[in-house]
Amino acid sequence: MGKQTLDISPVGRVEGDLDVRVEIADGYVVNAWTHAELFRGFEIILRGKDPQAGLIVTPRICGICGGSHLTSASWALDTAWGTEVPRNAILARNLGQIVETIQSIPRYFYGLFAIDLTNKNYRSSRFYDEAVRRFSAFTGKSYELGVTISAKPVEIYALLGGQWPHSSYMVPGGVMCAPTLTDITRAWAILEYFRTNWLEPVWLGCSLERYEEIQTYDDFMNWLDEDIKHRESDLGFYWRMGLDIGLDKYGAGVGRYVTWGYLAHEDRYQKPTIEGRNAAMIMKSGVYDSFTDTHTLMDQSFARENLTHSWYDEGTTDIHPSDRTTKPIANNTKDFDNAYSWASAVLHKDFGRLEAGPLARQLVAGGNHGESWQHHDGFILDVFKKMGGANIHVRQLARLHEIVKLYRQAEHCLREFKLNDPWYIKPTEKDGKGWGATEAARGALCHWVDIEGGKIKNYQVIAPGTWNIGPRDGQDKRGPIEEALVGTPIEDPTDPVEVGHVARSFDSCLVCTVHAHDAKTGEELARFRTA
Amino acid sequence: MTNVLWLQGGACSGNTMSFLNAEEPTVCDLISDFGINVLWHPSLGLELGNNLQTLLWDCILGKVPLDILVFEGSVVNAPNGTGEWNRFADRPMKDWLIDLAQAASFIVAVGDCATWGGIPAMSPNPSESQGLQFLKRQEGGFLGKDFRAKSGLPVINIPGCPAHPDWITQILVAIATGRIGDIALDELNRPQTFFNTFTQTGCTRNVHFAYKATTAEFGQRKGCLFYDLGCRGPMTHSSCNRILWNRVSSKTRAGMPCLGCTEPEFPFFDLKPGTVFKTQTVMGVPKELPPGVNKKDYALLTMVAKDAAPPWAEEDFFTV
Ligand code: SF4
Ligand code: SF4
Repeated sequence: MGKQTLDISPVGRVEGDLDVRVEIADGYVVNAWTHAELFRGFEIILRGKDPQAGLIVTPRICGICGGSHLTSASWALDTAWGTEVPRNAILARNLGQIVETIQSIPRYFYGLFAIDLTNKNYRSSRFYDEAVRRFSAFTGKSYELGVTISAKPVEIYALLGGQWPHSSYMVPGGVMCAPTLTDITRAWAILEYFRTNWLEPVWLGCSLERYEEIQTYDDFMNWLDEDIKHRESDLGFYWRMGLDIGLDKYGAGVGRYVTWGYLAHEDRYQKPTIEGRNAAMIMKSGVYDSFTDTHTLMDQSFARENLTHSWYDEGTTDIHPSDRTTKPIANNTKDFDNAYSWASAVLHKDFGRLEAGPLARQLVAGGNHGESWQHHDGFILDVFKKMGGANIHVRQLARLHEIVKLYRQAEHCLREFKLNDPWYIKPTEKDGKGWGATEAARGALCHWVDIEGGKIKNYQVIAPGTWNIGPRDGQDKRGPIEEALVGTPIEDPTDPVEVGHVARSFDSCLVCTVHAHDAKTGEELARFRTA
Repeated sequence: MTNVLWLQGGACSGNTMSFLNAEEPTVCDLISDFGINVLWHPSLGLELGNNLQTLLWDCILGKVPLDILVFEGSVVNAPNGTGEWNRFADRPMKDWLIDLAQAASFIVAVGDCATWGGIPAMSPNPSESQGLQFLKRQEGGFLGKDFRAKSGLPVINIPGCPAHPDWITQILVAIATGRIGDIALDELNRPQTFFNTFTQTGCTRNVHFAYKATTAEFGQRKGCLFYDLGCRGPMTHSSCNRILWNRVSSKTRAGMPCLGCTEPEFPFFDLKPGTVFKTQTVMGVPKELPPGVNKKDYALLTMVAKDAAPPWAEEDFFTV
């Protein structure tokens, strides 16, 4: 059988519209190209502006993880200005970031991922009817509850920053807010509401404490068997259905993973520096190389970008991102042998292409590198090894597993606030270079800022999507999503839902849109779909 | 049934995220209780690739009635007016927009990018972005000054970065329930019901504004953010302190100066050095005063206010 080329436009968007080209032979993807189709030029806009302009502009790079951009922008200025950040402020920044991610988990899972399980492809699965009942867009029982309750955690963000999305309450030297008893009590109540109305009864089918006993793949399987409530929870149901429809069979990717680490420790990062950052994060940074099963620390100086296959006129050698000049080329025709995307290829100087995201974070969390006091969790690494590497399903599990840990971290922040201690220490503005990083829900994010003469000389951002969506690099090696697409089975080329599964399993900033439904789900929606 | 098609141009999805925070009604309620039918949405829609392209053509050709076109994000014209820097479904987004705008009964622009061009249109505007019917305060925009949707209305502008979810849901419901005729638009085509008052209306720091008591630094529990930290609350048309954000707060309540994001000039002063979170003053007097207040009266008022200020105006007000 000959090769068939499929251009899917659009697949999804955010950080640029995402289009995918795949070549299919004998029902499997044999080659793939991902291309981002939007250029707004934030780096260009920021040049020459106020040093603090990034606090206002960069959250608007992405309204889905704007709080993470704000975090990176503030820490970048903190390192450039040599500020002191009071512990209350560190906790308040962490809390904002945590609730943004907690929000993202049900919103992403139900709103963007699980609706695919109602695709006609899976009609023969014994889980299908139940999936339709739970996950149908807008009307599914879990969909409606999950999407609605996803608005709750960010109410806590609003208590700190006035609104979510797009507050700029984090500033060099601390935060703008000074929450009172009212705010803190409400925040506790909102967390509790989220736990008792969705997280425990619907999502886990058990208490957080019971879930936290799971340390290995076997523990997880035992947990599934232990109680019908576990099996029938959305997590338990999803896990069983995913195996049934083969989500554990494809979507591997590049096999190397990166995280910058995140959540600065409130007592260890009050005098932030670029060099001191790794040892001060609660969730450690690192690179996991699955081919050699080794963990190493990640450092900003290891990052490189290559623009050979991107629509920029900045040469074809690997350069450090902070040396970029962001020169878009006027003619952005799609040329799959040359340039075909606004995303760049991001690399590690030694390890090459790396996957960023929740799976990366959890694989790194299983390493014994880093500081002894830093968070360690070997569960996902164990699942990864038992399953023989990455696939869509383990990538999902990593994402979903995080919610309980983050919930605990949110409690920690609320407990540790000392309401009458300072929230801000006014810094002195000065020239210099700064770097700030964090983990957005969907992966490693960092900002470099260079201030000269009291204004921004250069501002560069590497978003999670850039690691994952990037096109081929200088050696023509495929990017993580491109690589993960290879080997994907395509049942129906007119409705390649599997491509969507792979792309979305990265939970990259692709607010993806690969969907279809058969007569059955169609009927469910028919009430609303006829004019 | 009211068919809604929601598209994004030069966007960050912030308005979509904001919209998903809606609670009364929720996004799901809109569909089940108010007869709104989302034909497609970039994050929530069901079709991809060719299937979506077919749907878009069906809307353009009138095979599928397009009641409301919601647009989020700026209209990207780069490079050189071609719009190729923002292709969507295999065509420049701006070409889809021209066709769909002719077919739509109502057009709703959500967020600053769609209304005025927003952050992407900030100088030097590398993406040649415009709003649908304005570029900053200048009328015209992408569709032109005289453009009217099939209903006879211009583009309904719901600015804000992002727009408040309730502003969006209420307008969609007003259209779906035939109430839109009751809604008056201001000279920038914003629904007056949300944009006639100021951010300051309802701000918990109002009393400090009146007594000229300042929040000199961030992280304080007293004072008004106008005198030192650049709050634009007195000059900004919005209902942020009346229709609270995420049901619980607003920027100024949390101690963050209003950035004036519902006005076409946002981000003000193009974020030039020295303008971010700092009140612009001439000899200690704020350069910009609330609309209708003249400098002389203001100076007088300041004297009186300072004289009259009770001691607590300078003390911690929102204590623990
Ligand atoms: S903080 Fe801003 S909105 Fe509130 S009273 Fe002061 S100037 Fe007005
Ligand atoms: S308070 Fe000001 S900056 Fe904030 S959303 Fe309202 S109008 Fe925009």
